[in-house]
Amino acid sequence: MTVTEAPAVVPDADPEAAQAAIEHCYAQGWSDGLPLVPATRSLVDRFLATVDRQPDEVIGALEHLNRTVTVELAAVNAAMAGCRPEYFPVVLAAWEAVQRDRSAKGGGWQSTSGPSPLLVVNGPVREELGFNAAGGVFGPGFRPNMTVARSIGLMVRNALGVVPHGFEQATQGLPGRWQVCLAENEEESPWEPLSVEGGVPAGTSAVSGMLTRTAEYVDNRHTADPEQLLADFADTISRSGAAIFRHHPAAVVFCPEHAQMLAGAGMSKADVRAWLVERCGKSKADLIRVGKDGVGDNGVRSADGTTDPEVFDRLFATGGPEALPIVVAGARNAGISMVVRVFAGWSASSVPVVGRTTPTTQAGAQQ
Amino acid sequence: MATLADILDPTGQTTTRIGGAASAPRRTDLTGVRLGLLENTKHNAALLLEELATLLQEQHGASTTVLRRTKTAFALPLPEEQLTELVRECDVVLVGVGDCGSCSASAVADGIALERAGVPAAVICSDAFTATASGMAEVQGAPGYHYLTTAHPVAILDPEAVAERARQLLPEVLTTVTGASAVQKQAS
Repeated sequence: MTVTEAPAVVPDADPEAAQAAIEHCYAQGWSDGLPLVPATRSLVDRFLATVDRQPDEVIGALEHLNRTVTVELAAVNAAMAGCRPEYFPVVLAAWEAVQRDRSAKGGGWQSTSGPSPLLVVNGPVREELGFNAAGGVFGPGFRPNMTVARSIGLMVRNALGVVPHGFEQATQGLPGRWQVCLAENEEESPWEPLSVEGGVPAGTSAVSGMLTRTAEYVDNRHTADPEQLLADFADTISRSGAAIFRHHPAAVVFCPEHAQMLAGAGMSKADVRAWLVERCGKSKADLIRVGKDGVGDNGVRSADGTTDPEVFDRLFATGGPEALPIVVAGARNAGISMVVRVFAGWSASSVPVVGRTTPTTQAGAQQ
Repeated sequence: MATLADILDPTGQTTTRIGGAASAPRRTDLTGVRLGLLENTKHNAALLLEELATLLQEQHGASTTVLRRTKTAFALPLPEEQLTELVRECDVVLVGVGDCGSCSASAVADGIALERAGVPAAVICSDAFTATASGMAEVQGAPGYHYLTTAHPVAILDPEAVAERARQLLPEVLTTVTGASAVQKQAS
């Protein structure tokens, strides 16, 4: 057995020992299907050294499943996900951001809808760690984007014990589950960063998070009229398949070209939001056709069939960023944006990144 | 030098929870028992429990005194106050319908909590959610806990179909909440 003789860290580590360790992780049931980095004490300690937190601090729990997440477990899962140690402050901020979504503390992770977090990173940490904010921002291709998002999935799987076909009952789930961690393209956005709407000052690194059900593109390279452009978004946002309750949140991740066109027409983020909130929704006539026109006392839609076809059901319950968060990300090479179906709503509360996000203490500036 | 044994466990799991017996004392019949209905807001849940209550009253002498409660946070086990009230006011409780990923598990947790507090309970889940329902029984330290299943889906049934489901479930509800089931469990 060469495995037991393999040193923890050597320049020319034994690849076969590494393979055996990866297989060991699979055999324990810890993997999401992709290889895990075997986490050893020394590696996890390097993660813990980036933050001033007690390893046994509890940072999340599903009491009904008798499971808790500690800083230590977060570090183990982040290491296994393939993060570098200096990503760990971002992982903790991302986890906290997701915890602020009320559905994450209820049964969200167990839901048949199989939601997945949308994570948005703002501030200087994007450049420090090499987060992608531009082309192909929904991934893959960039280690911090992929591994931070994956860390959250492994924490839910391993530390919370919500495993597919067990307590995780997603009917189909969604493409890109545990894989979407965007950096906002602040440099090409005409508007304030999402984290500023989340209460964190501009220039401070922060993560925002919300559970989502999918994302669907709006490809409009066809008009220079901002109202036509927004009407295209309104159509996608309003589609009936997503409607199960009286109201729904949604997010828009605008590409720089769309954002700049709207800003060029004098529209602020709030103006864009107000335009969409006013117009998104369906007539009862449309909802009758799909069996969703009725709304019960608990807010759940049903096939009533007797409602007034002329009545218009607005999609958004409120007009703020909690119901319609707006982000700018992607390349400035085409008018292709994304509507994101938000599961329960955004907390409108971003989490500052606290810790050392550079590889060594000597080189590191405290964030 | 590190070995496979040095790879850290990402689950934090060390021991399995061992719980007390999840079986309350049973009566031999239901004459005069006060029913509790704990519905979880899932479509047709209240109606199915109501149909069962009617059958238990009409055919098995259950009391017309029925405590109807709605669990608004369907994903989570019932709140302590609601548990206390059901235990105080009811002799038998029907719980359901576990018809989603989270509420199927929490319905089983509720049934186990009621049994441990001394009240026989019949928990009804859709048969699409046995993995999560049984998983919760293990988490609660009652891996053999018996719950009832009805064919999925339940939510889109019309009222007559719901009543039919109630008729189908009735015999198993009876054996579950009366002594017959305790005897069966011991025998098995």
